[in-house]
Amino acid sequence: MTGFAKDFPILEQKVYGKQLVYLDNAATTQKPNSVIDTISDFYRTDYSNIHRGVHYLSERSSERYEEARKKISDFIGARNPGEVTFTAGTTDSINQVARSLEPSLKGNEVLVTGVEHHSNIVPWQMAGAKPRAIEMDEDCNLLLDSIDITKKTKLIAISHVSNVLGSVNDIKKITEIAKDHDVPVLVDAAQSIQHLPLDVKDIGCDFLAASGHKMYASTGVGVLYTSDRFSDLMPAKGGGGMVDKVSLEKTTYQEPPLRYEAGTPHIAGAISMGAAIDYMQKIGLDKIEKHESDVYSYARDRLLEMDNVTVYGNTDRMCGSISFNMDQIHHYDAGLIMDKMGVAVRTGHHCAQPLMKSFAIEGTVRASFALYNTKEDVDRLIEGIEKVEMMYT
Amino acid sequence: MTDAIQDEIIREFDGLEWLDKYGLLIASAKKLEPMDEDSRTDENSISGCQSKVWIQSYKRDGKLNFNLDSDAMITKGIMALLLRVVNNRYPQEIANINLYFIEEIGLKSNLSPARSNGLESIIKRIKEIAKNEALKDNV
Ligand SMILES: Cc1ncc(COP(=O)(O)O)c(C=O)c1O
Repeated sequence: MTGFAKDFPILEQKVYGKQLVYLDNAATTQKPNSVIDTISDFYRTDYSNIHRGVHYLSERSSERYEEARKKISDFIGARNPGEVTFTAGTTDSINQVARSLEPSLKGNEVLVTGVEHHSNIVPWQMAGAKPRAIEMDEDCNLLLDSIDITKKTKLIAISHVSNVLGSVNDIKKITEIAKDHDVPVLVDAAQSIQHLPLDVKDIGCDFLAASGHKMYASTGVGVLYTSDRFSDLMPAKGGGGMVDKVSLEKTTYQEPPLRYEAGTPHIAGAISMGAAIDYMQKIGLDKIEKHESDVYSYARDRLLEMDNVTVYGNTDRMCGSISFNMDQIHHYDAGLIMDKMGVAVRTGHHCAQPLMKSFAIEGTVRASFALYNTKEDVDRLIEGIEKVEMMYT
Repeated sequence: MTDAIQDEIIREFDGLEWLDKYGLLIASAKKLEPMDEDSRTDENSISGCQSKVWIQSYKRDGKLNFNLDSDAMITKGIMALLLRVVNNRYPQEIANINLYFIEEIGLKSNLSPARSNGLESIIKRIKEIAKNEALKDNV
């Protein structure tokens, strides 16, 4: 194990007799020792329910939970931790916004892009809104100059980075345009928070959603940033912990963030997100970005060199995922063979069927990178592709 | 219950490394007659698969036969094996068949319902067709 991979015990193993190369990081990332230890230590020493008990452990748990909130708040540049709510993940975060905004969304439209994950399409449809895609060119650059905001546009909901192509959308420019029309903006940061420095103040978005499990933390936890501007939204969920006074006649809610966190949250998960941020910050976000960008460019160059490979998308800035297909070879076959070569990739539509439709394909092979991947991993990917090709001729 | 054809398949795969198994599946797929374009309809397709799979069936001399095809070669190779086992049998026989060769040659992981090639749904469909035909035989 070299570089950062040595911090991730799962990566030490061999699969089918070959050293594992894990390139399915857009689906979920592996966990470093420090995160795993934080979770198990927390259950060993400080665990209890939060915000309720008068006792020692409850105090400790509440403190650590709120510390984690503060870390995330600083990490994404929120004005204060009150703007950060713990959720079950990106999907849950987006659904909560859809639920809260439902009265204004119903019968109107949400501006999205053609690369969105189903999680940023279906919740809007369920809230009675029609998603409409901002146009893009054939390389998948958004055509922001021709963006068409109408009276019916009640929200712009955009992924920062595509989970399929790795294309980075210019979300700052989008929020600037949105401001002129007074339309709120939600950023789906599921594929950016682990790769790029984020600053919600600088971006100027009103909502930002992300998942813990894609940024080296636990599954089942995520965050929703809600700008102070929306501090009195109707909570999407009701229950314990989020209320001020309850009577059968009338209930009043807490201030954010507790207002948006009904029921017992994923306490250990939240704390694991704090630990994941500590881990990334200890390495340094700039260093991570630089390393990942080297590996990503190398992968892209190697793939583009191959005659029998089509790479999808080509935008000014890219990170994380690369999608491709091999001529005359089904993505599923390619994935199965690479798996037996020890290379874990993902195949299929990647929960982005509208994008697949625009390429007129059923699916792709996707390699997606994390901070522990190296150029040697890319070489193994290329070897895998060569092996697939050999098996077909 | 053992079955000569399934045993033969198991012998063919015996001791092979994974990549050689896939090689054999791809070779079997190449030998399988593709279904004509017109038959590759949504109606004939089986959902729940990451690769597309199409199925057709016909009866000859009271025995049931299937055509299977897929756009992925490894899936198609598995289909070719399935056809060797199930084709040209009486419907009741197919309805009751125990396809033990799948586990024996190591493709069991492809069987789980969550698995993207949905071998499970293909087998279910084959058995459904066989059951319906068997019912027709009995009236
Ligand atoms: C861009 C994007 N949005 C949303 C999601 C959904 O994330 P989760 O499944 O963690 O809720 C994903 C996950 O793949 C994603 O890549």
